[in-house]
Amino acid sequence: MANELAALSNELAAAVEQAGRTVVAVHARPRFSSSGVFWRPGVIVTAEHTVRREEEITVTLPDGKNAPATLAGADAGTDITVLKADWAGPMNARSSGDPVAGNLALCIGRSEDSGVNATMGIVSAVSGAWRTWRGGRLDHYIRLDLTLYPGSSGGAVINTGGEIIGIATSALSRIAGVAIPAATIDRVVDEILARGHVTRGYLGVGLQPVELPDHQKGLIVLSLEPEGPSAKAGVLIGDILVRLGGTAVSETEEIQLVMEGHAVGQAVEAEVLRGGVSRKIAITVGERPRRD
Amino acid sequence: MRGFGEIAERLRRSTVQVFPHGRGKGGGSGVVWSSDGLIVTNAHVARSGEAEVELWDGRRFPSRVAARDPRRDLATLRLVGPTGGVTGLEIATPGDSDGLRPGELVIAIGNPLGFAGALSTGVIHSIGKLPGMGSQRWIRAAVQLAPGNSGGPLANAHGQVVGINTAIVNGLGVAVPGNAAMDFLRRGPRPSLGVVLRPVSQGLLLLEVEPTGAAAAASLRAGDVLLGSFDDLNDALDSGREVLRLQFVREWPAGGRARVREVAVRLDARAEAA
Repeated sequence: MANELAALSNELAAAVEQAGRTVVAVHARPRFSSSGVFWRPGVIVTAEHTVRREEEITVTLPDGKNAPATLAGADAGTDITVLKADWAGPMNARSSGDPVAGNLALCIGRSEDSGVNATMGIVSAVSGAWRTWRGGRLDHYIRLDLTLYPGSSGGAVINTGGEIIGIATSALSRIAGVAIPAATIDRVVDEILARGHVTRGYLGVGLQPVELPDHQKGLIVLSLEPEGPSAKAGVLIGDILVRLGGTAVSETEEIQLVMEGHAVGQAVEAEVLRGGVSRKIAITVGERPRRD
Repeated sequence: MRGFGEIAERLRRSTVQVFPHGRGKGGGSGVVWSSDGLIVTNAHVARSGEAEVELWDGRRFPSRVAARDPRRDLATLRLVGPTGGVTGLEIATPGDSDGLRPGELVIAIGNPLGFAGALSTGVIHSIGKLPGMGSQRWIRAAVQLAPGNSGGPLANAHGQVVGINTAIVNGLGVAVPGNAAMDFLRRGPRPSLGVVLRPVSQGLLLLEVEPTGAAAAASLRAGDVLLGSFDDLNDALDSGREVLRLQFVREWPAGGRARVREVAVRLDARAEAA
């Protein structure tokens, strides 16, 4: 009946109102502002691709006032930028469970002119850890079937209860909007607040998949970063990497996944074939040089 | 969801197709507002003085434009039946657009690209000003619209009309708030200069001046540049003053300083609330 529809409509509007209390507009690029979410008191997260300058960033707070914000750090791989701004408002609850495909989802943004804005759709797919084309790792891949308008990126993705699932970005997939999951944001925010950036493990090798005579696969070392972690550990060009950290590797993506589990400075055991003989080499994980 | 179908059916009966005379196929939509044949639509749909209107049941009537407010993009059409009046109209229920909240469910009915009575659903995206469109408020709705939806109803979950679909901006439906439409019906069009203008770096360039408008009566001409911003002009027009003093420049001498002239524009008085 129409009453049920009106009840649902009220529920959605209430969820938007509640979530909107932590959503800001972020003015850090020409023309369109983007959105951001107070993730912790004084800490805003937004989509990295919408932040085009490092200074003179301002935000429109949930009360409609504009305030300056400072850049705490960014991680292009996961498309997360962390900003700091003064705000004493309440924080919003996170969704306790993971969303499933088919759940209703709303994306809540803010603009200076018209305040809170909302779009609605469904979660169209959820899967496990996902490596973005930008090189970062999301704890879940959460694909959204909802329209992200200019300015929506960085907005809060919520369920119908008003609980936060993550933040929206249009830059991680060509075919759909993606929610950067709350767990990923927590991890990246911790690291950025502690270090100013997200460190990525680095071996300093160029690898190419090869098939071995026994139909196994491995990765042949084609290049070595001089004085890089692998070179220092004694890896030679022509070695064939077959296992890393106890995991069989045959694709370069698998290296990235293993590296996620090894912090910079930690040793990782590599098993290589050299002249047909297997040998184990301990490589101390280095930090990937950052491009400025 | 059963609710949408029911509401849509009721709303569809209050939605009409508008075919302006003197133009090709390009038509729009409209909302039946009163049982004696008053239709609300967009000013840009009712551009000529007359239009043909097709009801949901297929009946077609001629109509004439009763009032137009190009600044709010609203117009009313009066249906003309064979014997004067038109019977059997299903009128729309107006809702209070001031109470709308982002996230509320909305449905839009119209005739996008010529499909009569097409329904689209979505949520209220935001309510507020549009950049460069003055201080008036607009509803933005995350609903799929297309040309031909213009002038049609945007309704809430109760089926009450809360907006008149007007434009598509960045993929979002933009609607005139229902309360602005009510104000227009009660008090008539807001004062206007009767010009088509375009913002330029120096001010507002007059592209066209309607021969019967207030600007023409004050001897303003196409090519004149009004000083000030679009928002300033809108605020002045809405200030309730009967006579506006506007500064403008007619000629820009090469290298020299332009002479700023002033003109007094007498606006048509607006009807007071009945």
